[in-house]
Amino acid sequence: MAMDRDQVFEKVQEVLVDALGVDEEEVSEKATLMGDLGAESIDFLDIVFRLEKAFAIKIPREELFPAEALMGNPDYVNNGKLTASGMAMLKEKMPHTDLSNFEKDPDINKIGDLFTVASIVNYVQSKV
Amino acid sequence: MRWIWIDKFEEFKSKESAVSLKNVTLAEEHIHDHFPGFPMMPECLIIEAMAQTAGILVGEAKNFKEKVVLAKISKAVFFDFVRPGDQIRFHTKMESIAPEAASTTGKVTRGDKTIAEIDLMFSHIDQNLGGKQFPKENFVFTDMFMSLLQGFINKPAAETK
Amino acid sequence: MGQIMKFVLIDKIISLESGSKIETVKSVSLAEEYLADHFPAFPVLPGVLLLEGMIESASWLVREKQNFANSMVLLEQAKNVKYKSFAAPGMQIRYTVTVKTIDDNVSSFIGSGVCGDEPIVEARLSLRHFNLSDTDPAMAAVDGHIVASMKKRYELLTL
Repeated sequence: MAMDRDQVFEKVQEVLVDALGVDEEEVSEKATLMGDLGAESIDFLDIVFRLEKAFAIKIPREELFPAEALMGNPDYVNNGKLTASGMAMLKEKMPHTDLSNFEKDPDINKIGDLFTVASIVNYVQSKV
Repeated sequence: MRWIWIDKFEEFKSKESAVSLKNVTLAEEHIHDHFPGFPMMPECLIIEAMAQTAGILVGEAKNFKEKVVLAKISKAVFFDFVRPGDQIRFHTKMESIAPEAASTTGKVTRGDKTIAEIDLMFSHIDQNLGGKQFPKENFVFTDMFMSLLQGFINKPAAETK
Repeated sequence: MGQIMKFVLIDKIISLESGSKIETVKSVSLAEEYLADHFPAFPVLPGVLLLEGMIESASWLVREKQNFANSMVLLEQAKNVKYKSFAAPGMQIRYTVTVKTIDDNVSSFIGSGVCGDEPIVEARLSLRHFNLSDTDPAMAAVDGHIVASMKKRYELLTL
């Protein structure tokens, strides 16, 4: 089922409006899930479940939201920042997200800002 | 007041769907407050009855090994109110399940009429709140709930304490 | 008119800005019977009763704004109700509910509950309000009785 990016975006927008109770206008490409749209861990699961149904795909959670697996590992995180190997691992797990700005200051408290609507759209499009 | 808001299961399809029912009666103490002179079942307790029905469906899917608690009410919409003497049914369907959580959809009927639609998310708390410890035994699925399932499923192996 | 209140999920109205915002509190106590079942060895206020606290808070905004014109104030819809932390005996939950809209027969709100700094619950809710006599004139006396009880309850909560 090949869909163009606009079609994917529209459906993702619908999913986020339903899961997060926000208005359509708030769900722009660059809106961050946690910062702008108020998503928390139960919402991340809700979003995964709904995306799976909406697009008839399977989404292993660590593929879409991989940062949580990294956080607990001392090889990847040192003093509140990602180490070089942590950064490499993150890039590998999040090929759909532009990490260039984050790389300049890989503060783990800012990882939440990486999850944008655009990164979800990119991820879904690669699967449909 | 016992915290049990369903009386009986009518259908139970493991990992798929379930139907339970509740008789609403003037014998329920709280109903006289809501509202004085015109008792009705509070909407939040209709949601709880659905949560108990769906929560048992979700719990049974993992053989009651997980402590299943209500994490999110995605949506609960009400089209009518419920009065003493009514018998209402809770129809629920398992939509998704993962190690940490599950989601269900459901509707509440009185006879043929749909009086509410309730979609919920449950959390498996031992898999989630990192660092937070809970008592070991499954305090969620007590005998009070397990007895509702007599005849529908084989009794799960008793947990050793 | 003596009233034993068993189903009231807020203890006090702290502040009310007419048609705009309300703050209420609920103290959680082991004296609440249902805690014995919810759960044995881990008593916490059931999530739906946290929601009820916000529904009641929102209802007072409607009743006060409309001068108790409608007897029936009911939940029409709750959305994105998220439970963030457990409310255990000894904790005091502070609810803040703000109005989005209040019209004659429908209203909408955003609510949240915290214990100190700790977020406990948040929700979006819509209520519907009417009189039983709107559809059945014979029910006017019942409407009157409900309104009178609610006015007394309001007095108790704003003492």
